[in-house]
Amino acid sequence: MNEMVKINVNGIEIQADNNKLLIEACEDSGIHIPRFCWHKRLDPVGMCRMCLVEVDTPRGKALVPSCTTKVTPNLVVDTESEVVKKAQEGVLEFLLINHPLDCPICDKAGECPLQDQTVSYGPGESRFVEEKRHFEKPISISEIILLDRERCILCARCTRFSDEISGDPLIEFVQRGNKTEVNTFPNEPFRSYFSGNTVQICPVGALTSTSYRFKARPWDLKATTSTCNGCTVGCTVELNASQNKMLRILGVDNDSVNQGWLCDKGRYNFEFLNNQSRLKESLEKVNEKFEIISNKDLINKLKNKILNNENKVKFLLGTNLTNEEYAAFNEFSALISKSKSDFYLSDDYLFNGYFEKNISLATFNNLDTADTIVIWSEDIKENLPILYLRVRQAVKNGTKLIILGHNNSTLKDIASDFYSSDIIDENFELKVQPENLKNLKDAVIGKNVTAIIGKSSPYQNKKSLDLLVSFLNENSNLSLLNSFSKGNSFGAFQNLDSVKGLPDLCKDFEEDLPEVLFIVGADPIGSSVLTNKITSILEKINCIVSLDLFIHQTNELANYVVPMNSTVSEKEGTFTNIEFRSSKINKITPSPGKALSENEFLSNLLSSLGKSTDFLSVHELNTKVAENNFNQVNKITFDELDKPSNFDGIISGKEVNINCTFFIEDKSLYYVGRKLYGDSVTQRNSQSISILGSKKYIQANLSTIKTLDLEAGKCYIEQNGLKLSSELIINENIPDGLIYFPINRRNFVKYNFAEKINISNISNEDILSVQ
Amino acid sequence: MKETVLLTKRMRDFPSDSHLIDIYEKSNGYKVAKKTLSKSSPEEVLKEIQDSNIKGRGGAGFPTGTKWGMLVEDKEKYLVINADESEPGTFKDRILLERDPHQLIEGMIITCFAANIDKAFIYIRGEYAKPARRVQNAVEQAYSKGYLGKKIFGTNMNLDIVVHLGAGAYICGEETALLNSLEGRRGEPRLKPPFYPAVKGLYMKPTLVNNVETISSVPWIVENTGAEYNKLGVEGSTGTRIFSLSGHINKPGNYEIEMGSSFGEFVETLGEGVRNNKKIKAFIPGGASAPWLTGEQLEIKMTIDDVAKNNSMLGSGAVVMMDEDTNLVNAAKSIVSFFAHESCGQCTPCREGTTWLEMILDRVASGRGRSSDLELLLDVCDNISPGLSWPPKMTTICPLGPSAVSPITSLMKNFREEVENMIPTKVLL
Repeated sequence: MNEMVKINVNGIEIQADNNKLLIEACEDSGIHIPRFCWHKRLDPVGMCRMCLVEVDTPRGKALVPSCTTKVTPNLVVDTESEVVKKAQEGVLEFLLINHPLDCPICDKAGECPLQDQTVSYGPGESRFVEEKRHFEKPISISEIILLDRERCILCARCTRFSDEISGDPLIEFVQRGNKTEVNTFPNEPFRSYFSGNTVQICPVGALTSTSYRFKARPWDLKATTSTCNGCTVGCTVELNASQNKMLRILGVDNDSVNQGWLCDKGRYNFEFLNNQSRLKESLEKVNEKFEIISNKDLINKLKNKILNNENKVKFLLGTNLTNEEYAAFNEFSALISKSKSDFYLSDDYLFNGYFEKNISLATFNNLDTADTIVIWSEDIKENLPILYLRVRQAVKNGTKLIILGHNNSTLKDIASDFYSSDIIDENFELKVQPENLKNLKDAVIGKNVTAIIGKSSPYQNKKSLDLLVSFLNENSNLSLLNSFSKGNSFGAFQNLDSVKGLPDLCKDFEEDLPEVLFIVGADPIGSSVLTNKITSILEKINCIVSLDLFIHQTNELANYVVPMNSTVSEKEGTFTNIEFRSSKINKITPSPGKALSENEFLSNLLSSLGKSTDFLSVHELNTKVAENNFNQVNKITFDELDKPSNFDGIISGKEVNINCTFFIEDKSLYYVGRKLYGDSVTQRNSQSISILGSKKYIQANLSTIKTLDLEAGKCYIEQNGLKLSSELIINENIPDGLIYFPINRRNFVKYNFAEKINISNISNEDILSVQ
Repeated sequence: MKETVLLTKRMRDFPSDSHLIDIYEKSNGYKVAKKTLSKSSPEEVLKEIQDSNIKGRGGAGFPTGTKWGMLVEDKEKYLVINADESEPGTFKDRILLERDPHQLIEGMIITCFAANIDKAFIYIRGEYAKPARRVQNAVEQAYSKGYLGKKIFGTNMNLDIVVHLGAGAYICGEETALLNSLEGRRGEPRLKPPFYPAVKGLYMKPTLVNNVETISSVPWIVENTGAEYNKLGVEGSTGTRIFSLSGHINKPGNYEIEMGSSFGEFVETLGEGVRNNKKIKAFIPGGASAPWLTGEQLEIKMTIDDVAKNNSMLGSGAVVMMDEDTNLVNAAKSIVSFFAHESCGQCTPCREGTTWLEMILDRVASGRGRSSDLELLLDVCDNISPGLSWPPKMTTICPLGPSAVSPITSLMKNFREEVENMIPTKVLL
């Protein structure tokens, strides 16, 4: 923090942070200066001229933009003088002369900075009698974003965001003067993972999303703060609903976590909530078909299955439950059987990680203070998008970045070293000892290092990761983030007594098949590379109970399906992120039909089994979670988390219960990874982004494609009778000889990547005959 | 009144081939640079420039010696020649580029020697195709003779010159917009601070940005000493200056004169009088950005200070005469249209305000004006340049917006009746 100095604003002396921007310093003291282009998280440009104020200079009073003027000792500022008022009114009039008066049909109306500031600072009447500037009304600049250039006031917030923050400057100013407009480059849509942020920060209704367009008026919205459970970053969000329907998610500026930003998946992957195909009734499979069953009958039937088989009840859990629900399963399991039960988590990238006592675990803020960031993990832009932004931000502020592995090539441009196929083989094993990498050595020895470490592929053996982590831990002041990326994984690690992965499930179940298997919010058949093995195991189990939102590939095999509340907006609970930061998940919409929350269902089941049930209320469970939590100082109770002082969340105890013993033993012949958008059941049912995850493609560099005697373009992928048409795309960041498969695209996991997959180009005749 | 020919001597002596290196060398060319590099010190050169009291010829009139003295020490420094001559009415750099490019190059060599710079750029406006070709050829000739490149004239000095063409934007004459354009960005003025490119300029490195005419004067000053140069002209406006005279006069053109005589004398003698013996109604003393002076003010002396005292500026040295038949509303409209067309669009008051002013003037000029338009014009101007004072205050990032205001305030101050007469009287039927 800078020293505080005295400045005089409007005749009143205030204390201000030396060197801070005047507009921010005034805001700190409760003096609001109107603005359009200035945004706390973007570099100032001084373009809109709305924040002009008068300051005393040796040559008299001067009008200066307060967003580019810094506080200096004894600065005298007037934010309300006649000259300032006239200038601000003038700027507003200039902005309005070409701004269309379509507020009645504009999504922004009601929460529009241009409207609001016109009321507060603008002229009452229009003196402009000419025709306004015209552009084609909204043009699509991507699948999910529309741009209305008539409404645009050219504040450059969106273009700066894309350039400075997300690093994909796909929108720019074109033309000049009065003809200036924001637009994309020819044939290059605004396909950014972060494009929704530009809609949120647009100070007018120029940028709108297909998702929210014409859906509601801001004054009709209910709002609550919550936590995104899309990945382990745990962004703070605001949920907006109207008439019991979720309509919008906004990023909230949590200084420690997402700093206001969201990825587009986190922002738009809620539309499934309102999807007609959501489960609303419990189902029982009768003669290979699902039939509706009342919850009461279902509980009775399950009671009989569980009684006498208590030790043969197992749990396969997804990563989208709240801490309280993980605690509920833990309690449930302990109550029905005497032996300790294992919980299997549906994530191919799970392993024991690096949580040993001698390794200090990092927070995101460590990235900003580190000398060097070292990344060896799955692609963080695809799987932990806001962490990607935080890394970019840290590097922009001077931190060194070193990347290992062929993932994360989108950070290549800003990395000082990118160790790819020269030192890491196709199965992500180091070919060179870390201490022999000179640049790595120079950048870490004796330095503050923050490392992001995790498996780059489901097939990666952790041996090389061990080498790197112990090298870093011995030679630097290391803080480490275990890059498990799925949902509330860290909540599961904390609140379940023992967590195992899918390889363990296969081994354990082959030895000892469970009688009853609960599958909760998980679709391993649709998402795991072990899908074939898992299918054959599940087919053998007598009773599978699936608790979920939709029917998908896994619970098609279930005997009973129970509709559940969604963690997005239909539950109250807590979430633990990758930093072990706990924050609140809140409810704003009711669930459809007879959907239950997990603890309600388990309570009912327990009471039918004759066990005491009171403690499975959410609040009781929350107390349990807080007690279980190892950090005794900050209890993560709802009451504590709701306190404004804990807005950033509470870092809880950093102990985990992961007990993986088995790994995928196969060696992959291919390079596989997960993309942000994929074929998950929730995304498939979210209208605006479903298309983004539906395209099937594989990638390789040009020389690989040539070596394989292929051409970029349409192709067939074929193995053991599974033939899919796909696209083969050139990507020069992929090492020689490797073909990349995004495994979360539909049916790709059904291939056995340890065996050869045939790829052949589709000829034109084939295309014609297919059609 | 006679011309004093320092910079334009060679092109007069050799009207058809003064741009060739052979001619240049034959007429004393590159000797000053050669001598300076081997015999003088950078400090001595700087002192000559400071002694000459030459002020920048681009328009702002900043003392060149002071600018050079402000250059911050750094490993990388640059010299950028601003040859983006775009101020309407100005065509003096054009002849220097087209007809005596080696004089500029020699000036650059001496400047870079004085400032210890080894990389220089000449940013020429895109429309100057022929001058750019001539300069490019001249640079190549100089390289082939060993006057540019490594170890020039056999000394330890290295200098590379890059000729860069603009893409047709007036705003790139503003030095920070020029630097942005040269870096490959949009030609938009940079935010101040940093105030001076001499501190943070091209690629955020210390950079001297000088006008063509300024640097073309350097060889003469160094050869004949700054004290000699200082004797020319008058105090505050020393040396000679090339004025571009245009408008309703009998002999428009470029004239190199010592500053100090009056506009009236200039027009009557060198300009050979007003066309058709008419009277001058108004004139622009220093480029389209400068407020107009009236026919009664022709006795004002052509010096930086005298014009400034009369609330205008000598600017880029473009003198445009308008006779008594001129429709001044149309004249103002055409200047405002120019600025509206050339606004970069970065800041609101200039982007929106200049176009609005153009629209209002267009309405008035075509007989569709409203009686409220006069006050509206002045108020819109006031929102771009608060107080409508000179030198202008501004709500904008750079002075382009206020430049569009100058002709309107001049018009309204001195010729308001003429504007009022163009507003149709409302007849009640």
